Amino acid sequence: MQKETKKTPLYDWHVAHGANMVSFGEYEMPLWYPAGAKKEHLAVLTKAGIFDTSHMALVMVIGPDAFELLQLCLTKDLYACVGKDKSPLVPGRCVYGAFLNESGKVIDDAILYQLEHNTYMTVVNAGLGGEVARHLMAYRDRRNVEINDLTDKIGKMDIQGPMAARILMKILVDHEEVFKDMLYFTFKGHFDEASPLADKVRLIDGTPLLLSRTGYTGEFGFEIFVDQFHLVKVWEMIFDAGQDFGLLPCGLAVRDSLRASAVLPLSHQDIGPWPFINHPWPFALPFNPDGTDFTKKFIGNEALKDIDKPEYTYAFTGYDLRKVSVCDQTIVLDSEGNKIGLVLTCVCDIGIGRHGDRIYSISSPDKPENFKPHGLSCGFVKVKSKLDPGQVVELKDERRKIKVMIVSDIRPDRTALCPIEEIIEQKEKRL
Amino acid sequence: MKEINELNLPGDIRYAEDHEWARLEGDRIRVGLDDYAQDQLGDIVFVELPQIGDTFEKGKEFATVESVKAVVECYLPVGGEIIAVNTALEESPELVNKNPYNDGWFVDVNPSDPSEMDDLMTNAECLEKLKGAD
Repeated sequence: MQKETKKTPLYDWHVAHGANMVSFGEYEMPLWYPAGAKKEHLAVLTKAGIFDTSHMALVMVIGPDAFELLQLCLTKDLYACVGKDKSPLVPGRCVYGAFLNESGKVIDDAILYQLEHNTYMTVVNAGLGGEVARHLMAYRDRRNVEINDLTDKIGKMDIQGPMAARILMKILVDHEEVFKDMLYFTFKGHFDEASPLADKVRLIDGTPLLLSRTGYTGEFGFEIFVDQFHLVKVWEMIFDAGQDFGLLPCGLAVRDSLRASAVLPLSHQDIGPWPFINHPWPFALPFNPDGTDFTKKFIGNEALKDIDKPEYTYAFTGYDLRKVSVCDQTIVLDSEGNKIGLVLTCVCDIGIGRHGDRIYSISSPDKPENFKPHGLSCGFVKVKSKLDPGQVVELKDERRKIKVMIVSDIRPDRTALCPIEEIIEQKEKRL
Repeated sequence: MKEINELNLPGDIRYAEDHEWARLEGDRIRVGLDDYAQDQLGDIVFVELPQIGDTFEKGKEFATVESVKAVVECYLPVGGEIIAVNTALEESPELVNKNPYNDGWFVDVNPSDPSEMDDLMTNAECLEKLKGAD
């Protein structure tokens, strides 16, 4: 029997707007819209894009022992995870980490939100809400905590790009108050009308939102959680408000190219059923200041400390936009031509290019005059030997070999961390 | 994605199984990628073309097309010598998406056996095949 694919509440909207729909996990999702992936990618770098992310899963963890359970299961030390001075998680803050099994292998990565005292929400990947909920249940023991998978009740969309705040200003009640002190990885409001937090963020028609300054593109923007009943309406309000700002609806193709060149992993591709260590995301692990040990015990921590044959995941950037096709036969070769590993992700960031010995983005403030990016391939490799940034390796698929450089970062001048007041002011000047 | 009845498949050209097209222009044959292929691939960002003077047998790989989604090989629908390449695609590969049968052409071939054109599909045959595959 063919497995029925699920549709998000925005399915009809996507089809009506000419999206090229593909199966992604259990869902039918837009790959790109008629503008095309190239324009969508550039829109997020220079203006804004909206993404239907309501296929993602959401698990509530509530109760007097919720903190203790999450501290046991998430790879982040919740006593020391906020800001540079590593203060404890507090309501209004969220953190990025992963859920591992006892062998230190990834079940999924997640953003954990503290909504209130004893109330947490974790957002995981499409189709994994049930598995993460079961994992938490398995370690609940006698703890007083409730675990609810709300995946099909809550809708989610992301607005990403430097114009995101300007667009939301048009449809938010008291946007100045909403945007006040809204740092990267903070959030306000609630999707549930019954919550006292709901009044913190409302649209002009009264719809309550949970507005989070996070995203999966590396650019300034927000993730928006809303009751699934309101999702299409809110999407259309944002879409309409964005028309004067160059907002485009964006599909999965650019979600992948934007996130990879922002050095963000895709679960079960760049992180997965192998030990979650020696990768470009050490901030997702509870390392002590000198990186020699963890500051807490958690599920999987013993396994991570005791690895027989370590493998190392690195980001890379190519020299032009040519890609290799990723499959099990796509390998990494060292300078002597020895196979040292596999390619995990290889995409093209069409908004960046080399000029002299530097890489610029189309939105780099100091880009050379008349700079026109041609795009660069980029992604992640997993190899048997330690490599250093600047080292050159070859990627080989059945068609071609491309030279790439191991790097610590890919797309320059990303706006994700840009202070909200600054980005609103900059964009006002440019309008 | 275009519906099959939205595809542009002109009647003055012939179509190969892998969605290359061939058009007789005097004694040369112009070759490109058809509307179905460009639509499936999405934004084309790079086209790797052969050199003038290269020769290929019918059905041999002569070009590589890179889109945001995938990398695909193109096979020469008629064997012969490459006598011209569309250098405009170096700077503007999107021409293949915008205008696959005119500005988005790939190469001109001096065919070693012009009758190989007869093995290719007409637009009606191509459409039938696409309907069958759908």
